[in-house]
Amino acid sequence: MASTSDIRKGAVIRHQNDLYAVVESQHVNPGKGAAFVRTRMKHLASGKVIEITYKTSETVDIVSVQWQTMQFLYKTGENFAFMNMSNYEQIEMNGDLIGDETKYLKEGIDVVIGLYEDRPVSIQLPKKIQYKVVEAPPAVKGDTAAGNVTKEVTLDNGLKIQAPIFIKEGEEVLVNTETGEYSARA
Amino acid sequence: MSTWSDLKNNHRLKEIYEQRIKIVKSIREFFWSNNFVETETPVAVRYASQEPYLNPIPAAIHDTRSTIYKMYLRTSPEYALKKLLAAGFEKIFEIGKCFRDFESFGGNHNTEFTMLEWYRAPGTYQEIMDDTEKLFKYVSESLKIEDLRFKDYKIKVNQTWDRMTMKEVWQKYVGVNLDEYLKIERLKDLVSERGYQVETEDMYEDLFFKLFLNEIEPKLGLERPIFVYNYPAEMSSLSRLCDHDSRYAERFELYIGGLEVANAFGELTDADEQLHRLTKDQELRSKLRKEIWPVDPDFIAALRSGIGSAGLPADLSAEALAKVGALAKAGGIALGVDRMILLFTGAKDINEVMFNSVNDQLTTNN
Repeated sequence: MASTSDIRKGAVIRHQNDLYAVVESQHVNPGKGAAFVRTRMKHLASGKVIEITYKTSETVDIVSVQWQTMQFLYKTGENFAFMNMSNYEQIEMNGDLIGDETKYLKEGIDVVIGLYEDRPVSIQLPKKIQYKVVEAPPAVKGDTAAGNVTKEVTLDNGLKIQAPIFIKEGEEVLVNTETGEYSARA
Repeated sequence: MSTWSDLKNNHRLKEIYEQRIKIVKSIREFFWSNNFVETETPVAVRYASQEPYLNPIPAAIHDTRSTIYKMYLRTSPEYALKKLLAAGFEKIFEIGKCFRDFESFGGNHNTEFTMLEWYRAPGTYQEIMDDTEKLFKYVSESLKIEDLRFKDYKIKVNQTWDRMTMKEVWQKYVGVNLDEYLKIERLKDLVSERGYQVETEDMYEDLFFKLFLNEIEPKLGLERPIFVYNYPAEMSSLSRLCDHDSRYAERFELYIGGLEVANAFGELTDADEQLHRLTKDQELRSKLRKEIWPVDPDFIAALRSGIGSAGLPADLSAEALAKVGALAKAGGIALGVDRMILLFTGAKDINEVMFNSVNDQLTTNN
């Protein structure tokens, strides 16, 4: 049994005999009482997300997950393939389990995969990922005056983001994977 | 994240920060135009509040002879503002920084945050509810922002807000009569029946929140903002008991999109009762092995001198005072300004509405 301070994104909890991966956890201090941890977690079998709030002193059944840095290789149908670069073992993870974060994956980037009984159960992306801009409409004179300070650009993995007007095709940019926003020029 | 480089590069974050400045200005305008006096009270205080679960940040100060004095950064300006009520101010507000240690660096919390408190003496907690609703509507009007946004919820400001008692929300969402669960033993059974862990050290309030946070709070204020009022007397250390039912106390909280935004009291103005409750809080701190300090004697003295009876002749008898009971009432509220800004701007995290939050400072350039 573990304590609620071990609840963090990616941790895997056994709740009523089912496994759930933590998507998000938040401290809540209701009024003036003891602290609680509001936990959003995804049912590993169905992908359904539930929310449970624990008092910080409660015990939680956190199953031990082995964290392994792996390189993203390619997408094959519904699955995403990763390779453990230390032993060249390959694993595949279902897109539903990765969720919305699939859109940030780009061939060759390192991610951290959580394995439970050798099965991939959760993924942690780098906070910022570098991409090459492959498509950016040219800035038009008068844009800034018209209040258009951002424009949509397409990145080398197909992701589209809003970037400042001065970003050109061929430039490298950093994207924040928590918000999906442009962060800086790389 | 809102560092200088975020504000420079991310148009959305820059706009949030600009909105923040306008919202705070608009809050000030609202109170000034409603004849509230804006106050400034100390951030560093000799006696911090006694709330058992809050952790003030200790601060050491020195005089010219290097003598050390231990102070704390305030967790709320509440005591100081009530002292000003005792001094005869009748309608006051303050916007200022407060600090709470051992909080998360982001989400809905930050170690340093901006609190808005206002008080009416004489005044009632119903009037404070009216003020709150009017304040949000004023800010909405002046910034031309019609909806409050939190997670995927969009809540229109300009509509009639809900007001429900705690007893009513328990009936609605849990299907039980809260009257029957005002004693810890009964509540323990209910909480355990519904599948939650009951720990031996759980107090009434802990059990209450195990159920409330899981089954009620996430559903509050999803269509329109809601005031939930009249809390079990057990959970209200600075509020007065309800006139017609002493099992409940005059406390309310405002929820919008499931987010708690403000906490208010019909203020307890009885000095002896207040001293008694704060001493109990202090005992609990000690039981929880937390640092303890004396109950602020000057706060108790201020209450003893009378709050909310300003304007009445000083020689009024106790009986006469009781007759004008309404006048001896005070109401006050603490509202998280950063959370209010988060709702008005649709920001994703409290760190997005603050410049250089603790998290930004700890993670930038290192």
